[in-house]
Amino acid sequence: MASQQDIRRRIASVRNTHKITKALELVASARLRRAQTRIEEMRPYADRMQELMVGTARAASSFRNLPLMQRREEKRVGVVIFSGDRGLAGPFNGQVMRRAFELERKERADGHEVVWTVVGRKGGSTLRFRRFEVAAHWEGFVDKPTYHDAQAVAHKLAELYTEEQVDRVVVVYNKFVSALVQRVVVSDLLPIPEHVLEGSDEEDPDPKKQALRGDFIYEPEPEEILERLLPVYLETEIYRALLESAASFLAAQMTAMRNASKNANDLIDSLTLQMNRARQAEITQEILEVVAGADALTA
Amino acid sequence: MARSKFPVEVLTPEGEVFSDEVEMLSTRTVVGSIGVLAHHEPVLARLEPTELRLYRSDSEIVRFAQAEGYLQFAENRALVLVEEAIAPDELDRATLESKLAEARAALERAEEGTEQRARAERDLRRYEAFLSVGH
Repeated sequence: MASQQDIRRRIASVRNTHKITKALELVASARLRRAQTRIEEMRPYADRMQELMVGTARAASSFRNLPLMQRREEKRVGVVIFSGDRGLAGPFNGQVMRRAFELERKERADGHEVVWTVVGRKGGSTLRFRRFEVAAHWEGFVDKPTYHDAQAVAHKLAELYTEEQVDRVVVVYNKFVSALVQRVVVSDLLPIPEHVLEGSDEEDPDPKKQALRGDFIYEPEPEEILERLLPVYLETEIYRALLESAASFLAAQMTAMRNASKNANDLIDSLTLQMNRARQAEITQEILEVVAGADALTA
Repeated sequence: MARSKFPVEVLTPEGEVFSDEVEMLSTRTVVGSIGVLAHHEPVLARLEPTELRLYRSDSEIVRFAQAEGYLQFAENRALVLVEEAIAPDELDRATLESKLAEARAALERAEEGTEQRARAERDLRRYEAFLSVGH
């Protein structure tokens, strides 16, 4: 049986770990709330922007030949991974990487080459460890992305696409479903899917959206507006993925740290019990020795 | 004389910055300055970085340093979608000047006719416009 001293030392060490996990849990939960509001705050902008695009596309004579819409034969597929800058976040990084590698195997089987781009330090180091070449890598803003960061990523991807270094771009990220559930999503980013510009065919009962069908004075021409709107769409999509990923990271971290704190507590409890047993055993032992000694003297 | 009012919403990717009734809205499109009063014809315009002014009344004007974006006016409602909209007292001259210098340097480096150059030019225009709002 371990001595009291040993057990006491272990308890102290577990207690220290508990302090760290508890602190991380609290920080993550506070920042998660902020990240969730940011997702909600960007939604009206993204929705209105999309309505604007649908309206403008309807007024424009053609949009299929715009650079970001052009479809071509697929040879190289760009995969964008949204990982975290740090670990200690449960399955967050692992599940997104696993999904990305599944995707890679499938694309290779179809005869496509994969070009990697990655957001987040963790994803970058995994790719480097596997000796993959990384075309672009961003880090440092993952848990608190700004729109400016999204623009930097979007510009690079648009560049890769228009310079024909990739013929399709797919994003892989953790979508925030709830504090307990984050699902990995794979979705096509470029070329911009046509349904984005077509909108729903059903008549929208919302009169505000109907208004978009009216005759507008366009300044400049609808085609020109659309040409600049597409990159903006790209930016908002990236921004959305960044925010979803950030919220997922914090949620996963919060859950992981909550479990770790709970485990630490359980461990402390069972160690305390063990220590008390050891102490009692020792006392009993001493009493027995004293009594035995006294008996020996009186006998 | 009080003019009739109309609702304006100013949205950025980082949230709503303004939503209220105003008498007049003034900004700048790629074609030129524009002032919008109530019952303006439906319009959809691309905006240049400039000072966005929202006239609650002749004397009460809300100002923003506004980046590139879009203005949509329909059914007597205005919607301003911009990348950034910053209240003048939140603008930091020193940061803006360093960003302006950065944009200038990027413009020097970028080759003629590339996307980087176009972007540097846009950044330059934006920070110049922001600085002039800061006055």
